[in-house]
Amino acid sequence: MAEPIIAGVAESNLGETPDRNWLDNAAIATVRALEDAGCTLEDVDGVAVAGGDDYMPALVLSEYLDLEEPSFLEGTEIGGSSFEHFCGHVRDAMARGEADVVVVAYGSTRNTGPRDERSLEETHPIDGFVRPTGLFRPPGAYAMAARRHMHEYGTTGEQLAEIAVATREWAAMNPKAAHREPITVDDVLKSRKIAEPFTLLDCCLVSDGGGAVVLVSAEKAAELGVPEIAVAGVASTSTHRQDISEMPDMTTTGAAVTGPKAFEQAGITHDDVDVAEIYDSFTYTALVTLEDLGFCEKGEGGEFVSGGTTAPGGELPMNTQGAGSRIATPDTLASSSSSRPPDSSAASTRESARSTTPRSRSPTAPADSSPRVARSSSGGNHERTSERPP
Amino acid sequence: MSAPVKDRREKWEGPVPVPTGATVPFWAGTLEGDLRYQECECGNRQLYPRAICTSCGDEDPPFEVSEGVGTIYTYTVCHVPGEPGFGDRTPYVVGAIDLVEGPRLLALIDAEPEGLEIGASVAVTFWQISDVAAIPVFVPE
Ligand SMILES: [Zn+2]
Repeated sequence: MAEPIIAGVAESNLGETPDRNWLDNAAIATVRALEDAGCTLEDVDGVAVAGGDDYMPALVLSEYLDLEEPSFLEGTEIGGSSFEHFCGHVRDAMARGEADVVVVAYGSTRNTGPRDERSLEETHPIDGFVRPTGLFRPPGAYAMAARRHMHEYGTTGEQLAEIAVATREWAAMNPKAAHREPITVDDVLKSRKIAEPFTLLDCCLVSDGGGAVVLVSAEKAAELGVPEIAVAGVASTSTHRQDISEMPDMTTTGAAVTGPKAFEQAGITHDDVDVAEIYDSFTYTALVTLEDLGFCEKGEGGEFVSGGTTAPGGELPMNTQGAGSRIATPDTLASSSSSRPPDSSAASTRESARSTTPRSRSPTAPADSSPRVARSSSGGNHERTSERPP
Repeated sequence: MSAPVKDRREKWEGPVPVPTGATVPFWAGTLEGDLRYQECECGNRQLYPRAICTSCGDEDPPFEVSEGVGTIYTYTVCHVPGEPGFGDRTPYVVGAIDLVEGPRLLALIDAEPEGLEIGASVAVTFWQISDVAAIPVFVPE
């Protein structure tokens, strides 16, 4: 079996890490994830990293970790979906016998780190069209998509809020979550307006921190004696990145393309999925991705998430660790509204999805265990802003 | 068309476009009240301006002048300024405008949020914000 096994997962400290840079956080998460997997830096023969603030993050992290001639390096920058994207390349490398232990890592200091103040001369020509509008990105961009979704399908603010409420219920069980007190639909609707129709509680947190996943070959997994939680399907695509208005249909994401591919690779259907971990940079992001992955019909996401579908005890538990809306995770960090995005000059909106084999699903783990379950990420439109996010 | 161009240079504290390469004719047009888009010989129409036609690959597709009218595809009301210099302006409206010629353009909508709706007709005006560029700003028709 060539599917990489998820042998270990971990985070660095989250929230505010003023004494750490992105590399420190990525390295700390790496070592903790290796410990979780039952191995050490000595075992590592590959590094895949994105979202950091360096031009050549894979090289820099390998150097920092003092790896000896790693055989696998990946640094493709496609925003929050980079990490899922890496899994496909890791699978290929493992199938070729090039690597047995690969660390997928991320680190950031978006919360407390310095801002990027590049002038318009130094950025993409399209920014001359986008930035003078003052659009607060990414919230404003996704807000425009959400409003169009409401217009086309009758989706309501209450329905978006259901996602935030359910996610907070999961966060309540996670000691690491930044906010654990319960919230109501009304709380979401009445929280501070950010970019209509989004309020503060529609938006994910921005946080410092790092995260890492250790992927190992089947042989190494057997040696380590870890549960065989495999990455069974991965797909990536790109729609748009710098200007959401360029999307011909703003209400459909690349997940509509990648979802079917990942499901097919994994050999599963939606009925096989017990838990979904879906990128929720905003409530709407999770809703539209559920639709595009086919958990419900297009346009019916609002109805689907109503009534606690994704909450503890619901039909489809989603983002069981509390997710980006309530707890910062590597993926959501990468997509958070931020003053220091990944190098944005060449990136486009990408979508990727991966799901595990039906046999390897984990329980709907709350608390501090990270998800080892069907997961999808829509990494779109992580745009630069020059203001602090909310 | 030639839409009104208001001089906002004194009051503007936000980012200003820097005309370069393929965008130079677009920004030159704005100072004259013209909203230009590229229309290639193959029939493809595109904005923002690019060095190639995204349909056939022809280099430097020529510009045409838009009628400057369209409809609101979607919009948001920004309560958090996304750029320096927008603090005093909040809340303000940013929309994606479908021009009658086809291309869609992200732009400020100069209107009270309350009366706006998707599908409403809008027309372009320009705010001159630097010596070399005026930004398209749409108003309800
Ligand atoms: Zn052409």
